Amino acid sequence: MTPEEIIAAVGGGLPPEVRCETDHRGVMLRVPPGHWLAALAFARDRLDCDFFDWLTAVDEADEGFSVVVHVYSLAGRHHVLVATPLPRSSPRLPTATGIYRGAAWHERETHEMFGIGFDGHPRLAPLLLPDGFEGHPLRKDFVLAARAAKEWPGVKEPGERPVPRAERPPPGAERPVPRARRRGPPHVPDGWGPA
Amino acid sequence: MTGGTPSTDGLPARSRGVIALLEENCTVCMLCARECPDWCIYIESHQEPVPGTEYGAGDPARAPAGRGRQRVRNVLDRFAIDFSLCMYCGICVEVCPYDALFWSPEFSYAETDIAALTHEQGRLREWMWTVPPPPRPEEGAPPPGEARGQVP
Repeated sequence: MTPEEIIAAVGGGLPPEVRCETDHRGVMLRVPPGHWLAALAFARDRLDCDFFDWLTAVDEADEGFSVVVHVYSLAGRHHVLVATPLPRSSPRLPTATGIYRGAAWHERETHEMFGIGFDGHPRLAPLLLPDGFEGHPLRKDFVLAARAAKEWPGVKEPGERPVPRAERPPPGAERPVPRARRRGPPHVPDGWGPA
Repeated sequence: MTGGTPSTDGLPARSRGVIALLEENCTVCMLCARECPDWCIYIESHQEPVPGTEYGAGDPARAPAGRGRQRVRNVLDRFAIDFSLCMYCGICVEVCPYDALFWSPEFSYAETDIAALTHEQGRLREWMWTVPPPPRPEEGAPPPGEARGQVP
């Protein structure tokens, strides 16, 4: 199917809330969460996209999350992206495992990495993170704790000699000559990292 | 591995095998170390006075003014990339304003000791000999700005 044929098929088979976007990468169906399963079933049955490629989420910051699925037609060699927006507070979707069984692992990963719930999933246990891990690492507000343990290599100014830890002034001490504001590591809140 | 020694033959010029350092071009601006998302570039440097820029040097007219200032330049002491942390994103190569970092397609540098994956300056410089020339522009592409006289 060409992108035009996909769009024509969507116009005749899905409610008008579904928006069709095309660009050089192909067709993206943007559906409200209420039509999520209907859109996936439509992609599988009417668009012949029988191959489930992946499911993941995107942290859109103030606009919440997007859950995105990529499916492919082995016979027609066309592919479709299906995306739905979710609110930042209590993001939930019905599970897609009833339509694509292969989505089970992807939903487990998306659940632990983004904290998105998938209602009806057979076993939404952590997939990759160690037991007892707290937080959702792929959310943009997740602070990388490893950056508090390691010194940022970029803290030095050009031409600055490294100062051994023992010779450094204690935190908060006045420097003999005030310097320009030192750069902190990017994406690390104040108060994190070695003093 | 069944096919003998792996080779870079046939790999495209854009292949991301290892990052090479042309240390002659490095001005120790720290941009690569600051942009690196993995914090895997270590740079140490110091400043040296530039000969001939001493107070009033070679220019008696400047000396009486009393505000001549010794010029200094940054000298690179250590440049290391820890390839056990590097995720091969290429941001350092992209961000370098002085063309000191390049991609080389060489990939055969596995180690049994993780510390040996930190390539120091000399080893990074040696990779420069494996950097392929940039591919020719596509057929019909406009000539680069330098060739058109648009870039000073």
